Amino acid sequence: MKSEQDVDAIRSAGEKGLKTNPAPLVSLHNVSLGYDSRPVLADVNLAIYPGDLFGLAGPNGSGKTTLFRAILGLLPILDGSLSRNCPLSNFGYVPQSAALDPQFPLSVAEIVEMGAYGRVRSYQVFPRDEKRQAVEALDQVGVRHLMKRSFFSLSGGQKQRVLIARALMVLPKIMILDEPLSGVDEESRRTITDVLIKLTREKGMAVFFSSHDLMMVQRVADRIVRVDKGKIWVEKGKMSHQP
Amino acid sequence: MNTGFEIFSPSYLLFPALLGTGILGLVCPLIGSYLVLRRTVFLGLTLPQIAAAGIAFTFWLQQAGFLPLLGDSEHGVGMLGSLLFTFLGMGLLGYLEQRGKGLAEGRLAAAYALAGALTILFMVFNPAGQVEVLNLLKGEVIALSQGELRLLALVFGAVLLVMLSFHREFLLISFDRDLAFLLKGRQVIWDVLLYLLAGMSIAFGVIMAGPLLLFGFLVLPALAARPLVNKMGSFLSLASFLGVTMAVLGFYFSVRLDLPLGPTDVTLGCCLIFLAYALRRFSPKTGVALLLLIGVGASINGCSTRTTAVPVPEAKTIHAEQLWLAKVKNSTALPLLLPSNNPLRSLAEMAGKVSSDYRQNVMDMLRDSLKAELEQRGFRISLPEERDARFVAFPADTDAAVRVAREGKLSGLTFVGEIRRWEVEAQKFVRVIADFKLIRIDDGVVLWERRVQRAVPTPSATNVGQASTDAVKEIVHDLFAG
Repeated sequence: MKSEQDVDAIRSAGEKGLKTNPAPLVSLHNVSLGYDSRPVLADVNLAIYPGDLFGLAGPNGSGKTTLFRAILGLLPILDGSLSRNCPLSNFGYVPQSAALDPQFPLSVAEIVEMGAYGRVRSYQVFPRDEKRQAVEALDQVGVRHLMKRSFFSLSGGQKQRVLIARALMVLPKIMILDEPLSGVDEESRRTITDVLIKLTREKGMAVFFSSHDLMMVQRVADRIVRVDKGKIWVEKGKMSHQP
Repeated sequence: MNTGFEIFSPSYLLFPALLGTGILGLVCPLIGSYLVLRRTVFLGLTLPQIAAAGIAFTFWLQQAGFLPLLGDSEHGVGMLGSLLFTFLGMGLLGYLEQRGKGLAEGRLAAAYALAGALTILFMVFNPAGQVEVLNLLKGEVIALSQGELRLLALVFGAVLLVMLSFHREFLLISFDRDLAFLLKGRQVIWDVLLYLLAGMSIAFGVIMAGPLLLFGFLVLPALAARPLVNKMGSFLSLASFLGVTMAVLGFYFSVRLDLPLGPTDVTLGCCLIFLAYALRRFSPKTGVALLLLIGVGASINGCSTRTTAVPVPEAKTIHAEQLWLAKVKNSTALPLLLPSNNPLRSLAEMAGKVSSDYRQNVMDMLRDSLKAELEQRGFRISLPEERDARFVAFPADTDAAVRVAREGKLSGLTFVGEIRRWEVEAQKFVRVIADFKLIRIDDGVVLWERRVQRAVPTPSATNVGQASTDAVKEIVHDLFAG
């Protein structure tokens, strides 16, 4: 487990080395979002570049998931323009683990392998390389030892880490994580934030995660997107690292 | 049949029926697993009922002259209605789901009730075809012909192939629609394909096996497998295995005890669910291993049970020769008359041996055959009605038979028989339940007894009369050969 100083070192190294690519992976221009023509969020202007670590903060029901669903193409926008510079299959999405149905008998390995389903042909036997990659993804989030366990028997933190491993299996350019830190134990919280920071700094991946805990978002994210009462604005993050 | 293993012989008369149920047991749980996991179990109950309404509807249309006869197959017409109604029902339920009005369970319950009501109404409109419709709805998989088996294998083989080819897509769309959209694009195609396969299986399965058995195969193996496994691959394999176990054991008990196949299979499936929950206290691996052991063990034990039926004893072994052969009692509520176009009957009439008012029936034919065999065993046969014309058939109940014999001042031995069930099915076999007893009148001791309860195959019969004649021969041979 890395200390706060280690995290700082990773972060500053990343900030020096990245942000050379000017093309945003996702950009939203005057976008309105909502359901049944009723806007939940209006005038959203946002651009996410490779290496960005964005945190989306706001109270429950403020529209965080709505924004994510629009970025992922799961919800049509009501107004404005939204463009993506990579296919949807390059988006790694980590839903809230509570949104998944525990009725399904799925092992951790099966969950993670789902991330490769976009690359494997329907009638093809699941390739060994992909299996190896799934093990590596689990290794990356520190839960390799759980791969034979039932997914729904894991703790909240372990489930979240497994879902991150699944998103990594997609080989994403951008990761979207819906409340990855809610209801997780302290150890998982540290591991998850470390992994997110590493992904942006070392792999140049863009990460956009949400939380209703503003303090948490301020501690982890480079930039914070705040949503509240139908409005959205961007703030600087890294509260704990400011002089 | 000496042991249950004989049902696995391709030369066994009902082998196509066993294969048919085996195919249903193998494939239906794969579809049903997704219905269970997607929490749409009621769809597995409602769609077969809708298919049944379709069958009744097309029969009614045909009877009213709106539909031509499709060859000489009842199944052809029924299948048309089954397919049509299944897909219309699915489309309507899908449309209502899209509109999102009301509870999903409420819609399915209403559709189930409506389909059940329509099935009955269509049958009421078509009194001439009620028996055919009822037979089809009962799903006489036991009377499956080779041609129907080929069709079943073709349809369910295709369903199995598609299920295996796209199992990852079906899992993804069922478990995480958002990820499915990101990785595979529009999800609706996979939903449509899955429901198309479910619809095909249900429409074809209902006409072959009936709505009850089909619902059983769809849902019960999956419900039994769920508590024992934590992996999707194991879940699907175990559900399929339990489906086949249910099919084989159910078929065995159905043939052996002459029970209706659908209720027998469904009862077995429910037992498997109770067993699975009882085994849940063990680790998944141990639980699955125990369930497999019990399933295979029960199948092998059931099928290998050798019936050691004792034949009717020789007269000398019981030191008695005089035997009163009573008329065979008919307790079926059916007349069991044989068709009058029997050429032998005409000859007998010409010879003055039978009156022209007389129509031969199964009971008399059975007694004639019994008489011949008993005489060969050394008995001196007398007929009670020759002593006193008031004698009617003796009941198979020992006390009642002895009382009747004593009241008629008979002594020595009496041989009684009672037919409780005699149903000729598609001329391929006759379902029989009959009791036979050899009783010593003086002290009321039963020297020998046998209950015949099985489907007696009549492969070479070309009409109902021939089937009954062949069945009588087979039963009598059974009684005396052991």
